[in-house]
Order: sequence, then C-alpha cells, then structure tokens
Amino acid sequence: MKLLKLTTFNFMPYKGTMSLSFPTSSEQNVMLVYGDNMRGKTSLLNALRWAFYGKALGRHSRELPLQDLINKEATLEGDWSMETCITFEDSGHTYEYRRRATKHALVSKPSRPEDFEVSRGLLRDGIAINGYMIDSEISRFAPEQTSRFFLFDGELLQEYESLLIDGSEQGRKIKEAIEQALGVPTLIRGREDAQTLLKSAQKQQTRDLDKISGMERHVDRQRALQSEIETVERDIEDQETQLKTIRTDKTVLDDFIEATEKIHAAKERLTTNQESLATNAQTQKDLEIQRLGLMRDAWKDLIRPQIALKREHLTEENNQLAEAMIRKANISGQIEQLKKSLSSAICHACGQTLHQSQRELAGAELGRLEAEYLGIAVDENARNRVSAEIRDLDRLLKPGPTAQIKFLDKELSKLKVEQTKLDNEIERLHDQIKGQDTAEIARKRTLRDGLIKIEGATEQSIRASRAKLDKNNKELQMIAKALEGIPTARAAKSTQIVKIAGELERIYGRSIDRLRDDLKTRVEQFASDAFKALTTQSKYSGLKINNNYGLAILDERGHEVTIRSAGAEQIVALSLIDGLARAGRSAGPVVMDTPFGRLDPGHRANILKYLPTTTNQLILFVHEGEVARGHDLAQISSRIDSVYEIKEVSTRHSKIEKVTT
Amino acid sequence: MSVSEPTMIGLSEKAHALLSQMKEDNFLAEMADGYRLGIGLALAQGIEPEDVPQRRTVFSVATIDPDQEIAAAIRALIDLKGGSVYRMAERLADWGVIELAKRFDGSPIDVGALVPKSD
Repeated sequence: MKLLKLTTFNFMPYKGTMSLSFPTSSEQNVMLVYGDNMRGKTSLLNALRWAFYGKALGRHSRELPLQDLINKEATLEGDWSMETCITFEDSGHTYEYRRRATKHALVSKPSRPEDFEVSRGLLRDGIAINGYMIDSEISRFAPEQTSRFFLFDGELLQEYESLLIDGSEQGRKIKEAIEQALGVPTLIRGREDAQTLLKSAQKQQTRDLDKISGMERHVDRQRALQSEIETVERDIEDQETQLKTIRTDKTVLDDFIEATEKIHAAKERLTTNQESLATNAQTQKDLEIQRLGLMRDAWKDLIRPQIALKREHLTEENNQLAEAMIRKANISGQIEQLKKSLSSAICHACGQTLHQSQRELAGAELGRLEAEYLGIAVDENARNRVSAEIRDLDRLLKPGPTAQIKFLDKELSKLKVEQTKLDNEIERLHDQIKGQDTAEIARKRTLRDGLIKIEGATEQSIRASRAKLDKNNKELQMIAKALEGIPTARAAKSTQIVKIAGELERIYGRSIDRLRDDLKTRVEQFASDAFKALTTQSKYSGLKINNNYGLAILDERGHEVTIRSAGAEQIVALSLIDGLARAGRSAGPVVMDTPFGRLDPGHRANILKYLPTTTNQLILFVHEGEVARGHDLAQISSRIDSVYEIKEVSTRHSKIEKVTT
Repeated sequence: MSVSEPTMIGLSEKAHALLSQMKEDNFLAEMADGYRLGIGLALAQGIEPEDVPQRRTVFSVATIDPDQEIAAAIRALIDLKGGSVYRMAERLADWGVIELAKRFDGSPIDVGALVPKSD
C-alpha cells in the first residue's frame, strides 16, 4: 500500500480544508511535518486513524468521543460537520476512502457520539464499493489490528517495555496485536472452527451411540462431559466479558487517578504533616512536663557561686581551727617531756644527765611553752559547727538541673521552629486541595485497588476454567479413542467425523505452535538487524526474543543486558516495530508521531538513515527538538520528498504549510 | 536563746498574685517551685529585703524546705543577726517572685538566663 493524499475538513485543530500529499517516489520517500507541542501532530495521526477505522485515540489509547474531534472554532460558528478523505494505491488500484460526520438535524448541540450521523464511501478506480464490503477490502491492505505498527504513536513506545514482564495486561494486549500482525489468528480461528466441528460431531456421536446397546457408560460420560464443557465455555465467556468491563472501568479510574495525582499527593502530605504536628505537640508537652519537674531544684543553681565561695571560707576556717588544735597538742606534749626531764635531771630525748646550765635552759623553754599554750584558744564547738556547715553546703553543691533544663529548652525551641514550618506547610496544602473532593479521590483509588483484586481473581477463575475445559476435552478425546476400537461404534459415521475433526484440531494446534516459533525466530532476526543498524553501542551483539515478543539486549558475550536506559528502550521498541513490519506484512508506509523523544543525536541519525530503507514511505510528525532542520535533515536530504510545518492561527485553529520540496 | 521559727510562711498579696499567675500560665508545676526559685534569685543577687507587707500565708515550712537546704543556704549567705531563717526566706521569696515576674513578664521562666554566667 502507498498513501497518496489526506484531506480533512474541520478535523480537530484543522479548521476548514487541510491537505497533505505523501511521497510517491521510492527514492525520495520521506516526509516530515514539524509542529510544536499542542499544535496538532497527534491530530494528524488521528486523522489517518479516523479516515481508515472511524476512531481517534487519546491518552492511554482511549477512544476520543466523536463530538471532541470536530474543530472547536467551527462548532462555535455553528458548523458541526467533519470529513476525512484518504487516497491510496494498492496492487495497481487507486482507492479513495471518505468518511463524514454531521450532527443529526434535530440535535442543536451534540454532546455524545450518537448525536452524529456518520457516513463513508470507498471508491476503487473511481467505482463505488458496496458498503458491506468496505471493511474486508480495507483489511486486505491496512487491517485495524495491525494499525499500531504503521500508525505509530512514539509516546506509547514505553508500552513495549511491558512485553518483558510476564502477565502484564499491557503486554498481553500488545502480544495480541503482534500476533494479529503476524497472522497467527488465522490459524487460531481455524482451530476454533475445527473445535466447533468436533463438538457438533461428538454430540451426534453421543446420539448415535445411544441406539447401540452396551455403550451406555460411554454415552453417559460423553453426555456429561459435553454438558460440562458447554457450561464451562459459557462461564469463560461471562468471565471474559466481566474482565473486559473491569479493565475498562480500571482504565477510567486510572485516568482519574493520574489526573488527580497532585491533589492526592497533597492530601497525603497534609495527613502526614498533621500527624507530625500532633507528634510534635505531644513531644513538646512531654518535654514541658519534664522541664517543670526539674524546676523544683533549680534555685540551687542560682546560688552555686556564692555557696562555693562560702564553702571555701568555711574550709579555711576549719583548717585554721584544726592547725591550732594540733599545735596546742604538740606544745602540751613538749611541756610534759620538759617537766619530766627537769624533775629527773635526765634528758628524755637523749637519756644523758642534765647539767645545771642545761636545766636552766630547759626551765626557760618550759616557761615559754606554757605561755604559748595558754595563748592558743581552741573552740571545739566552733570546729563542729563549721564542719556541720560544710556538710550542709556540700549538699547544696551537688549538680543541679539547670544543664538539663537548658538542653530541654533547646529541644523545645527546635520543636517550635518545626511546628511553625509544619503549620505553614499545612496551610499551603489546605489551599492546594481547597474545593477538591478528596473523599471522592480516596473512594476512587480504593475502588481501583478493589478492581485490581477482582481482576486478578477473575483471571485466576478463567485460568481454572480453561484448565477444566482442557481436562474435559482430553477425557472426551480418550473416550473417542476408546470408541474407535469398538467395531459397532467405529461403524457409526459420526465416529469417523469425530476422528477427522479431532485430528484437524490437533494439526491446527501444532501449526499454531510451529508458526509462532518460526515467526519469533524471524522477528528476532529482523529486529536484531534493525537494532544493530540503529544502536550507537557497537558492543551489543543483537536482541533475544521471549514468549511475549519482548526483546532483551545481548552484549558482546551474548549475555542479557539487565539495565537499559530510556533511550535504549526506545531503540529496542523501534527495532521490534521494524522487525514486526518486515516479518508480518509486505513493505508499506510507516507514519510516526514524535518517535525521537528520548534519543540522542547519534541514535536519531541512525534511525533517519535506516527507516527509509525498510519502508516504502516514512512519514514523521516531529518537533524541532527531535529532528533539527539543519543538521539532522542534511544527513537524509536525498531521501526527503517534502517538509511541512504546522502553524498556529489561534488556540483552536492550526494550518499546515509546505516549507520545502 | 533559740529563735522561734514559724511553721507557715507566705508572700505579700502582690507576689502571691504573680506566683499564682505563673502557675496558671503553666510556667511552674507547683507554686512552691516558684517560691524556692524566688529565694534562690534573691540570694544570688545578694539582696536583703525588707519585711513582707500584708503577708498572706500559703505554705507550710515542711513543704517549702523539707530537707532544710534553704535554711542552710540562707544561713550560709546571710547574717541573720539572731533573726528567724524562715522569716528571712519569706522576705527573699517575696522579692524574688516579684523580680521573676518583672524579668519574664508573661513568658516562660528561662532558668538558664538566671544562672550566673561564671557557673
């Protein structure tokens, strides 16, 4: 398929008529549309999507309601009509596919998709194709299931990372889309048809065997199993419907939660701060009580210097009293000795006889000492009093509580500062969530959590039902095999049909597995080739595919690289897209919206060089930050057919201008 | 001759009102704590105050000074000249409580600021 031209009327920001001509040359097959954010790049991708499939996607791949697709300025002027027309060629035929939406005549201001009448028409070489054939005709060259690989939203690249996570819902959806693109569903549908045929044949077989005596046990068991299988199949169908509803509801809640994340975070912070404030207040209260308790003895610290000084004076006085007492005791001893020496005329110190002159000297010394003794006044009571006073003061000099009070005061001061900060923060957060229904936000978050649990439980039930179905089918197969050995049963035509249908179902089953394995090998090879061409890290040896089509990077020794940057993820995702495109369909156009978001100049250059060689048309919707007009474009100048630019007329009106050819 | 010591001591009306307010403002756990702090402050300042006018009895001596430490401190720092130590305590407390009220004027009592820096 090759796109030729897109024309829109009042589609999203493109008021009135807007036209884009796509590259037709196989050499110059690149077209770029530049536009700043919010100008209408994704709207161009949606114009193509709506033109082909009648739907436009918003964030999280959610379908945008029809009334939001019509240009707002036009609707303010009363024009509620919108149209897209895509012209393309395939297998030598030229197609013109037109889709138009206008409000119903009786509706004054549309507010829901049902308020519009949507019509479409497909011309092949100028001849109209019947309405009922349009979808199958479009599916031949641009099946909707594969559209995500050629109408490519770069902002969704990160979704491909989920393929590496077993059991992720997003990964499951992408895997389904990949298998659609690769053709696996054709075989799956074949197997389902064979299963239907087998079931109907088994029922007929049960009826036929009912007429043959001796087969009652088989018949009863077969009938019971068939009935059980029907019940389980209905259960699975109901559970899958329920699961789909749960997932839809969950997506709506996720969007709401994302949109109210800041408010929720503010509310959480508010709660945390209020708790901290309460803890702060309690700690202050506890410290205050502790501090008040210490005040009882604080008075002692106030007089400590005076008391210490007083103690020094008392100690001095005490020492003087003690010295006098000792002195008096010494003199008393000397007097006693002299008295004894004088009375015995023998020196008590050396034992020699005292001469007269010596006795006279000793008598004089005795007199002096007696005089001194009488001069020393020793007050025992005074000494006891001083000692008692010193003991009293020592009690007062024990360490007081002031140091502890000072420490507590410092802590209280810190807590008060903290309290002020918390008060201010709480006031700011109150302002932030003012007017917001935080109870509703909390309710929806809890509801979402509940849905996640129900989703898990439903998935579990489906797995259990499928296991039961599988077990019953195997038992039916065993019965069928047993019946093949019984001549009367074997003779029944229905037994033959059961045998054939059973074989057919098994062949389909094996074929699906084989096709999956083959396709994975091919996708792995193509994606590895693409990756090697796109990456700037020469040491990477390629990519390795897993059962979910997730791709792991292999280093030079063939080991998986476990930590990947955001840019590497994008390159891997682009390699997967390229691998899928080349493994699953013939070369066609690739339209990419904002695909270079996280990439450095080296990777951008590689992509710009590589992709034009693997597609017949490469259409890029980019902003100046992604692809620099000078340097980046110069590298692929020979490939460029045209460059357009989205210009803002007003906030509700953009137009496209061709800037070079 | 031994001095007759009172068993109950108090404050002037003014000091009592101020002490009550400190307790009410939660700056003190007990009025007795402020009473003792007042005595400590007056002793630290070397004050020998006049008699308390219009005394109001509020505490028993046993409550204020169960271990006779206040009596010991007063005796150590003031020459009582034969006077009653607890009458002196009363005068010191009266001056000290009024001084505390002046210094902190409705704010919590900053004990750290009362303690002499050289300590």
